[in-house]
Amino acid sequence: MAHVLQFRHALALVALAALLIFWTQAGYFGMEILAEIAVFAILAMSLDLAAGYAGLVSLGHAALFGFGAYMFALFTVLWGWPASLAVVLATLATGAIALIVGAVVTRVQGVFFIVITLAIGEMGYEFFFKNRALGGDDGLSGISRLDLSAIGVDLNDPGIFALFLIVVAAITYLLLVRLLASPYGAVLTGLHDNPGRMRALGLPVRTYQTSIFAFSGALAGFAGTLSAQHTQFITPNLLHWTTSGEVLVMVILGGLGTLVGPVIGAVVLTLLRHELSNVTDYWGFWLGFFLILIVLGGKNGIVGWLAAGWNALRGARPDDDQAADEPAEGEEASDAAR
Amino acid sequence: MLADSSFWIVQILNSLQLSMLLFLLSVGLTVIFGLMNFVNLAHGSLYALGALVGFTIARATQSMWAAYLLAPVIVTAIGAVLYMLLIDRLRSAGPMKQVLVTFGLIFVLLDVQKYVWGTDQLGVTSGVPFSGSIEILGQIYPAYRLFIIAVGVAVFALLYLLLEHTRLGAEVRAGVDDPETASCLGVNVERTFFVVFLIGCALAGLAGVVAMPEFSAEAGMGVAILVPTLVVVVVGGLGSLRGALAGSLLIGTTLTFGTVFVPQFAGIIMYALLVAVLLVRPAGLFPARG
Amino acid sequence: MLRADKLCKAFGALQVTRDVSLDIPQGARHAIIGPNGAGKTTLFNLLAGELAPDAGAILIDDRDITHLPPNRRARLGLSRSFQKNNLFPRQSVQDNLLLADIAARGYGYRFWPRLAARKDAYGKAATIAGQIGLIDDMQRGVAELSYGAQRQLEVGLALMAEPKVLLLDEPTSGMSPEETGRMLRLIDDLPRSLTVVMIEHDMDLVFNHADRITVLNYGEVLMEGQPEEVRGSDAVQETYLGGEAE
Repeated sequence: MAHVLQFRHALALVALAALLIFWTQAGYFGMEILAEIAVFAILAMSLDLAAGYAGLVSLGHAALFGFGAYMFALFTVLWGWPASLAVVLATLATGAIALIVGAVVTRVQGVFFIVITLAIGEMGYEFFFKNRALGGDDGLSGISRLDLSAIGVDLNDPGIFALFLIVVAAITYLLLVRLLASPYGAVLTGLHDNPGRMRALGLPVRTYQTSIFAFSGALAGFAGTLSAQHTQFITPNLLHWTTSGEVLVMVILGGLGTLVGPVIGAVVLTLLRHELSNVTDYWGFWLGFFLILIVLGGKNGIVGWLAAGWNALRGARPDDDQAADEPAEGEEASDAAR
Repeated sequence: MLADSSFWIVQILNSLQLSMLLFLLSVGLTVIFGLMNFVNLAHGSLYALGALVGFTIARATQSMWAAYLLAPVIVTAIGAVLYMLLIDRLRSAGPMKQVLVTFGLIFVLLDVQKYVWGTDQLGVTSGVPFSGSIEILGQIYPAYRLFIIAVGVAVFALLYLLLEHTRLGAEVRAGVDDPETASCLGVNVERTFFVVFLIGCALAGLAGVVAMPEFSAEAGMGVAILVPTLVVVVVGGLGSLRGALAGSLLIGTTLTFGTVFVPQFAGIIMYALLVAVLLVRPAGLFPARG
Repeated sequence: MLRADKLCKAFGALQVTRDVSLDIPQGARHAIIGPNGAGKTTLFNLLAGELAPDAGAILIDDRDITHLPPNRRARLGLSRSFQKNNLFPRQSVQDNLLLADIAARGYGYRFWPRLAARKDAYGKAATIAGQIGLIDDMQRGVAELSYGAQRQLEVGLALMAEPKVLLLDEPTSGMSPEETGRMLRLIDDLPRSLTVVMIEHDMDLVFNHADRITVLNYGEVLMEGQPEEVRGSDAVQETYLGGEAE
């Protein structure tokens, strides 16, 4: 297993280096794209924790992302709280909502889990869409960024802000790597592979599933606060199922359960969207097309392909990176255990 | 307004009419799930397709009856193509991948619909049957909505007869009850699944074309109806006709009255209902498998 | 040590467990046998907590566990293996054993310290791996193991929980004679302080490895006694011959 992790960390370093090189070259528009990539990388990593590691595939993850953004806007714009406090509280509030939602959705298993997350996400969207106090479908504007002038950092400069977000994403990656190396991280893969056996061995499965759903939700909410600061204007579209789908495609395209995969997926898909939006109005078509293609393709996304290529180069036998995801197995096991 | 009996009559009829639409959509989904542990998230997109295709047919032929007949057939044909192209291929890959593929299909079908029909609301005004109003208990009510209710009731009756009194129905019931045993007993579960899938597509198309004259057709309508449909399936319990009907009535009524009394929170109330049902009966109200 | 008191369970109209009582002392080697459909697996699932009984009680160490979920029972010292291999197929043997340790000792909530730093867990995994004969396969993936070795790991996971009572569900099912012999030796070598309850379909297998046998038929206890008594019983012979003839 050790060489698999080293390979992924090497990929993460390459990705970081690429983003930093791009940063030195980028103009205003490039900085905007970089900032967007960093936000989506954090969001995609948060989804990977739940979906790729713990096997809780959520189709409503963007609702938590948007919720965090709205809470940040509510606290700063409408209530006038300082941005630093608002980041913390919005993250915690999203975690609390995810805890409540998680306690309910983990009652249903397998396929119905993802169905219910889609339904609940859409209800969240509808709530903000219809809520006039929070701007309804017009959204909220006038959101300001964190004030780091005390340490001489001006986040209102697009370049500085993009760099700041890249650093935050890198720190998030490192913290999650540490988390995944802990007993808790091991439990996540156990829950993914065979929740029924984890229960038989003494683990309160639903408590753990709820906890990871809440943590993943809090991280998504944190990404939301960053997104709100980036665009400084938010609409209910942040919560929309199409955003959830986009994040899910990032995770699956990059490689479920690899952590670095979702980051790569965020880079590729964000660039692709900006390129394609110049050519076609039908981005959603291509997004769905990619999703179907990758799922039919069988291998575990870009990281799976790269690992296979790398192994072929070294002449080694293929390792478990390729078949790293087979959610169906865990599901059957959990059904059998019920 | 609460003391006004006409208010209640109108809203109860509205509830029934929404419930019947939800029933047409959820019954196919729930039986497919019961048979194959598979959820077609693109089911709502087929509903939208039914409405849009129906609109085109009605405009071309100036006849809604032609649309009622042809739209479900065309939607079924498209469903059959999707099945053979995608879903069947993923049979061995497990339900999770199938669901992800149908999630991708929502995106694809939505943009295809936008490309072909644009994003405007499309409606027909001429050639619609039952376009007048009718007086019920002293209350004027659009006759077309009663027609929608009647279609739902008729489909329920037909499905009930089909399930209880035909060989296909027996196979479906056996398959939902216990797929392994059913296949041991010589039921071709694959074929049964395909037929049920097609019936589900036809009903989704029918629901779309029947709803179109009243609510107009637009590309985004598929996702809007998908969410309550999924809630109906979960609340009603998997794989059962009775559950689909009970869930539809419950959710249709909740949404209708919720929208009247607390428009902002209708969705939240539906969610609360879902939570309540899952807490008390995690398998739904009438699960086919006990 | 483990007691069951008049357990009853019905699925619809079918009564699969009827007034089954067991009283198994510490250190016992207790086998539950019976023909197919006698309700062995249902009884096991009742004991392990996968199913809730309609009536009756289950006690471990005089503590009532009738209404506890499987994970709570496991933490109280009731550990089980499965008839069908129920492992973590993507992980190595060592990782499987470590997962069992985390779940059994309940330190899965620790999200900051590295798992690699838990020398005690690695030590215990090595001990158990030695016990089940997989010490040389620690780094191998479960999918690479032979079926027999997977069955051994299945028991190993249950042992990682440091149980007081070990429930083994047909530990030798599907094994070759050679693998069966290895598994039975493994069971014989378990520490005597451990209470072992095993389900077995093949009656001949258990005679030399159990000190007490309960025979189930149609969900009821047909008889309970020492191996010789059971072997000599006409009723048991009849049931088995009848059962085999089906």
